[in-house]
Amino acid sequence: MSQFFNQYFNFDVMREHFGEVLVGFLQNLLVFAVAAVLALALGLFLALLRQLPGKKLMPIRFLTIAYIDFFRAVPILIIILMISGGVPFLSFLPQEVRIPHWFGRPDPFWYGVAALVIVYGAFSAEVYRAGIEAVPRGQMEAARSLGMSHFQAMRHVVVPQGVTKIPAPMLNELISLLKDTTLVSVIALSESVLVSREVLSERLNSSSLTLTAIFFVIIILPLARVVDKLIARQQLKVTRGSHIEVA
Amino acid sequence: MRKSRLTALFAVLLLALAAVAAAGCGGGSDTTGTSGGGGSAEGGGGGEPLTVGSDIPYPPFEQGKSPDYEGFDIELMEAIGEKIGRTPEFQDTSFETIFRDVAQGKFEAVISAATITEEREKEVAFSDPYYLSEQAILVKEGSEIGGIEDLEGKTVGAQQGTTGLELGKEKANAGELRPYPEGPDAINALKAGTVEAVIIDQPVAQNAVEEEGGIEISESVPTEESYGIALAKDNTELLKEINKGLAEVISDGTYKTIYEKWFHKEPPKQFLG
Amino acid sequence: MADPVLKLRGVCKRFGALEVLKGIDLDVQKGEVVCILGPSGSGKSTLLRCVNLLEPPEEGEILLETQDICKGPGSGTGEQSWELDFVRQRVGMVFQQFNLFPHKTVLENVTMAPEKVLGRSKGEAREKGTALLERVGLGDKLAQYPERLSGGQQQRVAIARALAMEPHVMLFDEVTSALDPELVKEVLDTMRELASEGMTMLVVTHEIGFAKEVGDQVVFMDGGVIVEQGLPSEVLENPKEERTKQFLGLVLDR
Repeated sequence: MSQFFNQYFNFDVMREHFGEVLVGFLQNLLVFAVAAVLALALGLFLALLRQLPGKKLMPIRFLTIAYIDFFRAVPILIIILMISGGVPFLSFLPQEVRIPHWFGRPDPFWYGVAALVIVYGAFSAEVYRAGIEAVPRGQMEAARSLGMSHFQAMRHVVVPQGVTKIPAPMLNELISLLKDTTLVSVIALSESVLVSREVLSERLNSSSLTLTAIFFVIIILPLARVVDKLIARQQLKVTRGSHIEVA
Repeated sequence: MRKSRLTALFAVLLLALAAVAAAGCGGGSDTTGTSGGGGSAEGGGGGEPLTVGSDIPYPPFEQGKSPDYEGFDIELMEAIGEKIGRTPEFQDTSFETIFRDVAQGKFEAVISAATITEEREKEVAFSDPYYLSEQAILVKEGSEIGGIEDLEGKTVGAQQGTTGLELGKEKANAGELRPYPEGPDAINALKAGTVEAVIIDQPVAQNAVEEEGGIEISESVPTEESYGIALAKDNTELLKEINKGLAEVISDGTYKTIYEKWFHKEPPKQFLG
Repeated sequence: MADPVLKLRGVCKRFGALEVLKGIDLDVQKGEVVCILGPSGSGKSTLLRCVNLLEPPEEGEILLETQDICKGPGSGTGEQSWELDFVRQRVGMVFQQFNLFPHKTVLENVTMAPEKVLGRSKGEAREKGTALLERVGLGDKLAQYPERLSGGQQQRVAIARALAMEPHVMLFDEVTSALDPELVKEVLDTMRELASEGMTMLVVTHEIGFAKEVGDQVVFMDGGVIVEQGLPSEVLENPKEERTKQFLGLVLDR
C-alpha cells in the first residue's frame, strides 16, 4: 500500500519537477485560449449558416449539418494524428502553412489547435443552435412581420435572446476542451501530460501525473461550480415564469 | 425459495467471471508463443514460458505483429531461452513504463534495446551487456546538419524516455527537443519535415535509412552505451540463468549468426565466441 | 368603386398532406374592417398569415394595392425578394402571443423596425414611437421592459409597434384570446379607435360584439372555405347557412 502512495504521491518528485510541469500546464492553457476563441467563433458561424432560410440555400444548410454531424462523431485524437501526419505532405500549400511556426509556437501547437477548433466548432455550433431554437418562433415572426430581413431579425432579436441560454452548456464544452488539450501530447507538444510522462520515465514514478491532475482540478472545479450556479439560475427563471399574463 | 434463487445468481456470476478470466488469459493479442524469424515451427526451448516485455516496434531490434514478432532482440531472447529451457512470450508494452513494470513483476524480463544506465539500475537489475550501441543523428538527405553541434537552434526529435533524448538534452543546444511516443513517430516527423533531425539508436537509424528513402545518417555519436536485459532486482535466480544462457549463445556462435543477419556485419570482438 | 386594397382569388394553402385553405376569394376595401370568425382549424389564422407572406400560399392570387404578391407557388420563399419588402412595409400584424421583444424596452420595441428597416433616425423614431405609445395610453411606460406590463398593456404596445411602420393594412390574429377578460376591453377600445380613424383591418376574433359594432364585413370560415360573408347584421343576426347557425349558437350561448 505504501508503494501505491509512493507511486502517486511522492512529494519530492512533485517538488523537484513542479516548475517543469507548471510550464507544461501553461501550454495547455495557451492551446485552450487560442482554440476556445476560434472554436466559439466557428461555432457561431456554423449555427447561423444552419439557420439560413429558403429552398435555394438548402445545400448550404445540408453541408453545415453534415460537417457538424461528422466532426461530432470522429474522435479528436484521430483528427490530431491525421492533421499532423498528413498536412506536411500537402505540397500545394506553402511551407509556412504546412509546417506552421506562427507567433513562435511550434507546428504541433497549431495542428493541435486546428484539430480542436474543427471539432469544438461543431460542438459549440450545437450549443448555439439549442439557444437559438429555444427562442420562441413568434419572435422571428414578429420581427419579420415588421419588415426586418432574416439577418436583421437574427441579429437584433433572435441571437441576442438566444445567447442568454448558452453560457451553461457552453462552459461545459469549454471545460471539455481544456481537458482535451492534453491530447496534443501525442504529437509531441510539450504540454503538461507529455512533460509528466517524461518525468515518469526518468524517475520511474507517476507523481508528476498526479501533479498535472491537480493543476487541472484547481482550474476546472470552480468553473464547474459556475456552470451549476448558472443552470440553477435558469431553472429559477423558468419556474418563476416570464411573459404573457401578469394580470 | 429465496435461498435457491441466490445460489442460482451466485452460480451465474461465478460462471460469468470464469468466462471473462478465460477470455483474458487465452489469446490476448499482445502475448505470443515463439515464432521467430528462424522459420522453425518448434521455436524456443519448449520449456516453461518466460514473459518478456518489449516496446514494439523498434526495428531492427523488435518489429512485426503478434504472434510473429521478429528482430535481433527477439531472436536473441529465443536463443537464450533455448539454452535455459524456457520459452519466451513477448508482450508489447510502452517504453516509458517498461522498467517500472518489470520491477513490479508485470513480466519477468525486458529486452527492448534498453541501455544500461545508473538511473535505471536503481530500479532494476541488468544482465551482462548484450549489445554495444551508439546514437546516430538522422537527417533528410542533403541536409546541412553534420555533427551534434550543428543541432543548435534546430528542431530535433527523439523517443520519449530514451538515452537518445538524454543525449539531446545534454549535448545538443536544440531550439526545440521533441519527445515522441514511439521511435518511428520521430522518424516520420523527420520525413514530414516537422523536425530537422532525429537522435536515435544507431542501428535503428541504419535500418530506417535502408528501409526508407530520403534520409541519411549525418553522424554517429559514440556513447559507450550497452544494452542489457532487465529483470526485477530480487530475481537473482533468473538473472544468473540468463547470463549463463547469454554466455553460451555467444560462445557457440549463435550470437554471431543472429547479429550478422540483422546488422549485416561482424559483431564486436567481445561478442565473438 | 376604387380597386380593393386587398384582393384574394382562389388562395390555397397546404401543410404537407393537409389542405388548410381550399380556395379563398375575398375583397377588402380601403378603410374597411373585416372580421373573420370560425371554429379553430378553419384556417382563419393561416389566411392572415398568407396575406403577410408568413405562410406563402400554394395557389391563388393575392393582390395588395393591385400588386400580385404571390407570383406563383414558391415565390416569397426567397429572402428579401421585393414582395417581402413590399408586403411587410404595408401590412402590419399583431399576434395572439404579443411577441414583444423581451430584451428591449417598450419604446425600443416600437422604434426598432422604423430605425432598422425604414432607416429613420433615432430621434425621429423616438418621437413617433412616443406619440404612438401615448395614443394607446402607455406614454408612461416607455422605459419599462415588457415583462412588467399586463397582458392588455403588452398587446397595446404590440399594436403601437405595428403602427410605427405606417402600414396600410393591419392584421389582428385573435389578439384578445390570450388575455384575462378584464384586459380585453382596453385592447378592443384601441382597435375601435384605429378603425374609426380609417385603418383597413382584417381581424380574426371570437369577440362577436366587436364584430357587430365595428365590423364593416363579417366572414365566417369553416374547413378551409368561406361559408358565409356579408354585413354583420346579416351574418350575425340572420345567418343563412346551417354551419354558421351552429357556430353562432355555440358561441352566443355562453
